[in-house]
Parts: sequence; C-alpha cells; structure tokens
Amino acid sequence: MTDQTTTATKAQAPLRQSWAKRLFSTPEFGPMILLLVMIVVFTSINPDFLSLRNVGNALTFTVELGLIALAMTLLMTAGEFDLSVGSVFGFTPVVMWTLFNADVMPLPLAFAVAICVATMFGMFSGMFVTRLKIPSFLVTLGMMLVIRGAALWLTDGFPQRTWSTEDQWLATVLVGDFCIGGEGDFCRGGLRIYMSLIWFIVLAFVLHYVLAKARFGNWIQAAGGNPQAARNRGVPVARVKMLLFMLTSAMAGLAGVISSIRVSAANPNSGTSYELEVIAMVVIGGTALMGGRGTIIGTILGVLILRLMSNGIVMIGVPGLAYKLFIGAIILGMMVLHSGLERRNNDGA
Amino acid sequence: MTHPSTSTPLIEMRNIEKYYGRIHALRNVNLTIGKGEIVGLLGDNGAGKSTLIKVLSGAVPYTSGSIHIAGKEVMLNSTNDAIDAGIETIYQDSALVSQLSIARNLFLGREITKGPFNKMDLEHMNEVAADLLKRVGISKNIPPSTPIGSLSGGERQAVAIARAMYFDSELIILDEPTNNLGVAETQGVLQFVRDAKAQGHSCIFIAHNIHHVFQVVDRMVVMRRGEIAADDLTPDTSSILDVENIITGDHLAA
Repeated sequence: MTDQTTTATKAQAPLRQSWAKRLFSTPEFGPMILLLVMIVVFTSINPDFLSLRNVGNALTFTVELGLIALAMTLLMTAGEFDLSVGSVFGFTPVVMWTLFNADVMPLPLAFAVAICVATMFGMFSGMFVTRLKIPSFLVTLGMMLVIRGAALWLTDGFPQRTWSTEDQWLATVLVGDFCIGGEGDFCRGGLRIYMSLIWFIVLAFVLHYVLAKARFGNWIQAAGGNPQAARNRGVPVARVKMLLFMLTSAMAGLAGVISSIRVSAANPNSGTSYELEVIAMVVIGGTALMGGRGTIIGTILGVLILRLMSNGIVMIGVPGLAYKLFIGAIILGMMVLHSGLERRNNDGA
Repeated sequence: MTHPSTSTPLIEMRNIEKYYGRIHALRNVNLTIGKGEIVGLLGDNGAGKSTLIKVLSGAVPYTSGSIHIAGKEVMLNSTNDAIDAGIETIYQDSALVSQLSIARNLFLGREITKGPFNKMDLEHMNEVAADLLKRVGISKNIPPSTPIGSLSGGERQAVAIARAMYFDSELIILDEPTNNLGVAETQGVLQFVRDAKAQGHSCIFIAHNIHHVFQVVDRMVVMRRGEIAADDLTPDTSSILDVENIITGDHLAA
C-alpha cells in the first residue's frame, strides 16, 4: 500500500492550478487575445473599422468559409482533413444551377441533388481513407483535382447563370438579408444581416454541442487521439470518420451554393485554394492538425481573425497584397503558442 | 488438462486454430481460466501470445475451435462482443487516449448519456471516476477532469484497471502492464492486479519480466510456436529458470 501512495504523490504538484493558469492553458486563449488586439489596433488607426457597415460586410464574407471551417474542425479533431472542400465549393453550385437552368427540376430539388452529390464526394474520400488506409492528404488531393476537373469540364469553364433567383424561397432562406436599425435599400446607418450568418450561428451551436457535449464528440476526439484505443473500446472509428468526411463535404457544398446566390454566379473556378485558408482558420483556433483535440469556439475565433485581418489591413492602408504575409505570420505564431501548450499538457508523458 | 478448479471454468478455449494466410499462428490451443484466477501468459516474441489475446478480445476472428464462458459457447466477432461478454483487454499503448480526461477515458464507448441528443452526463461521469480513483488507491487530489497525458505510466495502468473493474469485467487481460515502469510503480500495478483478484476478477497477465509474473500469478501458461507448451506451472513448483527453459525450448536452435 505504501508503494501506491508514493506513486500517486509524484504527479500531484503540477496538477493543482489556479484559475488564471487554467484559463491561460485553454487553446482558445491565444486566439482570443490576438483577436482583441487586432480589433483595438485596427480601430485606433481607422475608427471606421468598427462601423456597422464594415462589420456587416465583413460578417457576410466570413460565414461562407466559416461554414466549412466548422465541419473541418470536427474532421481534423478526428485526425483527418479534406483538401477537396474548395473544389466541392465550386462544383456543387454548378450542379445545382445546371439542373435548374436546363429546366430539369425546380430549384429546391436541384439544391437537394447538389448537396447529395457533395455528400457523396465526402463518402468516397472517407471510404478511401478508412477502408484502404490511404492517408487523407493523398486521397483528398486526388479528389480535389477530380472534382475541379469535373466542374470545368461540365461547364466548359464558363460560369452558370444564377440571376433568376428573385422569387425563389430557397434563395431567401439561404442568403436573404434583413436590416437592423437602418433605412433605405442600402440599409443606411444600420446593420445588414444576411441569413447565411444566422445559419452559421445555428450550425456553430450545433457542432459545438456535438464536439464538446455529446457522446459522439467523445468518439471524435478519441478517434483522432488514439484510434486503436478507441477501437479497443468498441468505438466505430471508421464510421465516425466517414460521417465527418460526408459532413465536411456537404458543408462545403452548402457554402458554395450560398456564395453562388450571393454573387449571382456559379463559377466552376470558385473556391480555389479555400481548403488551405479553412485549415488555417481551424489550426489558428487551436485544433490540433494531427487530431485528438478540437474546439469550435477556437475555430470561430480563427475564422474572425483571418477575415478581419484581410478586411482590417486594407482599411488601415496596408497594401492588400501583403495580406498573406500577415496570415502566414499569424499561423506560425499560433503554432508556436499551441505547441508550447501541448508540451505543458503532456508533461507527465 | 485437468485443473484444481472446482466448478465450471470462467473461460474455456477449445481447439482454437488461427491462420493468418499460410501462417499457422495458433495450433490447437486449449486453455482454461478459473474464476478469480491470475494466469501468467509467457512466451517469446512470435510465440502466439498476442494472437491469443486478440482472439479473446474479439479483435481477430479465429479459424476454428470454440470459446466458452461459464460453460456457454460465445461468439466474439468484435471488440464490443468481448466487452459485453465480460472480457476487458488493456493493451500496452492503446488502452487510453492521452488527450481525453480520466473520466472521458473511463467511459469511452460506454458513455453515460442523458436526454434525447446523447448528451454526456459529465457530472455523473466525473463523480464515478473520482470515486473509482479513490478505490484503486490513486490520490484523490487528481481531479477526474485531468487529461490522461499528464499522468504517470503507473497511474495510467491504474485508470485502465479501474475501468475494467468498474464495468465488471470477469476477465481482465493485461498486456505488458509493467513495461517502462519504475520499481515503485510496478509494485503499485501488481497490487492493482491482486486487488482485482480479491474482488473476484480473473486476470491474464502478460509480461516479459518473469520476476513480475512470479509475484502475482496463480498459474503460468507458456506458449511456443503457436502451441501451448505448458499450462500448469506455478510459482511454488517451478523456478524462474525452469520457466525460461520452457519459453526458449529446444526449438531455438532450429
């Protein structure tokens, strides 16, 4: 019995942590501070940064990538990622508008078909990864090219017509806008909110619940952290990953459709290189690239950081072309921070 | 093949054969484990120990033969089948997820949920976990929300064993539980095994370190080349040298 007590006392000291320390060691803490600093700096240089108009604009563009990032957070927590989301983002609206414009079916049905196609792409990727044990990097790289190629080939590279959306309820539900406290067609002096933002908020709540509170979330984290241990406990790791691939692809498709309605064009080339931006958003937020740990709250912060950065540096007069430089620096900085936290958390290992 | 077990044995493997393609991994394996018995499973690398364990834990299907638990034949087609049948395997590196908390690991795959959306009852899970940690002798100062990654090797084994005891596993299979542990921690783990026996659990204890095996087991089974080479050795009747000779066998030169 004495042996046991010595065993136990060894690890006690580092585990007693104050509240401040615990807050500091959450993965969301770093991105939170960065976001606050960015807002303060941008606003102090250009007060218009926090104007309702600018916030409304920034939020509009934010959600489309944000939707993909939410799903990608779950997928990456499970230890996989998907490089084909940008291609799915471009392909899905092309399918939907082609079906609709050719009078094959009404818009809602075309939407359903297009999202099903997107989900199937995810299922293919998932099958390659879970059944054939091919790394998701290679599988989704292949899928990325296949889907992009299909979109270009189907359309001969031309954008699809999308301007007959006025009386489509689906378009209103997905991207309709309303105005809070402003007046006139341009919502002067008010905040213009697009429906897509509402969707983003709803889905963020749902996926946060799934990842952090639900049993499925425990399985997701276990699948990414130690898949063999999860399998030994009877967790259906392959099914979990498959579902997440399908979810991610479906979300990429939805984001693509929303974008196509907003900009009135279904361009087979749209979404190019979105996959890397989405992955950057997720890892900046504190989700581990290799899986096991993920946070939706962090991803929301990551999404805001990247989008506000691109908006902010233009507003304070930095040439927009330098955007990537800042993003790269932020990614590197955040990775240093997160790897430091990781080491601290695994001290006893 | 007769043992002093008075009643029906807990586990009985009859004529188990296992082929991996052309490789004959298990040859006519007959093994019984009594209730509350700690059996040491010994053998050199490639002797068939891990295959035997994988068969018992439902991780790989056997080619022929049958497995009986408390006299009834069972089908172990998946890990879940084995867990449901009361067989819990604690693998060396893949027992726990280091990123997850103690409580989340304890209930992994068997989470306590409430409500229609499968919400985990973390409060309840943490309570049970704290209680279990106290029972296996880990200090109560480690909160159940601590990630496994910050525990020592011995504490991790304790958590894994506590999990098996909590889910009332009749048979706990320990795969190299004392590997990479210090002296004090090893003694701690061996004590957990004795405690498990005291509470009526049977154990299969696999370790390369025969000294550790000798300290806890009631009986030793030696495997060589996929066969059971001996299954009635006890620490009282055999010396460590005897056992080592059986493990290496005459076949070594061949």
